[in-house]
Amino acid sequence: MSGQDNTGTILPRRTARPPEGMPPPRSLPPSLAGNPALPYPQIGQALAELRLEIPGVHGCVLGGVDGLMITHNMQTDVDPNDLAALAATTYGLGRQVGLRLGQGDFQQSTVRNALGYLSVYAVSAQALLAVVGADTINVARLHLHAPPVAERLAALLDGVTPTSWRR
Amino acid sequence: MANLDIALKSAMSIDGAIGVALVDYNSGMTLGVAGGTGEIDLTVAAAGNTDVVRAKMRTIEMLNLNDEIEDILITLGSQYHLIRPVNSRTGKGLFLYLMVSKSRANLAMARHQLRTIEENLEL
Repeated sequence: MSGQDNTGTILPRRTARPPEGMPPPRSLPPSLAGNPALPYPQIGQALAELRLEIPGVHGCVLGGVDGLMITHNMQTDVDPNDLAALAATTYGLGRQVGLRLGQGDFQQSTVRNALGYLSVYAVSAQALLAVVGADTINVARLHLHAPPVAERLAALLDGVTPTSWRR
Repeated sequence: MANLDIALKSAMSIDGAIGVALVDYNSGMTLGVAGGTGEIDLTVAAAGNTDVVRAKMRTIEMLNLNDEIEDILITLGSQYHLIRPVNSRTGKGLFLYLMVSKSRANLAMARHQLRTIEENLEL
């Protein structure tokens, strides 16, 4: 396979548009990942509660919007670092959709596959909560339970987030 | 044949009806709700009762009964809750959830009417 296109047909191309109405690039605060000042026991408790409350939840990952894992309670052999990165990717898509459509901040996104779910919830401007569930999970219950947990996590993280970055 | 809105409206016209919801028990999400009060959030009721339906279905499966749920009656102090899985081809995986006031409803009539609504439901 050569990279050269020999067929002579010109494929339609989308010309790059300068972004309009996009916020100016922001300089981000230091990553929350690996911050020793975080109240890890309380965070772990909040994550454990979600897993106990809803049958079928395999585990939760608290990650930064930068894609770095803060903490997790995954019980399967899925790498939580990968999940934190996936959560940030989902957040990126949600954020762009929000900006393009003028729908505001990212809140939640759920991916359903044949054998399970991945739900990502916004915790704060800096953190995300990713929840992995079996295909038998009661998603409506997850959507009822996760936002209050995310709020509690936000309060726990708030204490160590510089004031200027609070939402 | 009645569509979702008409079905929910006729369920609310059952004597003593407090609220009704059509729920997907695979996800616990509601396809439609009618009625409800300030204190009763039907989407919460739907998510919770999804677990009731699933538990019963699993039990029937484990007992090898080779049967299906026709309806489930839950009696509270002041209310009756009726759960009725939808049997039509287009309604597979759904159930109707009806809350009626115990003092104002005729249980047999409510159950009969809910069956008629379920049989006529076209999605």
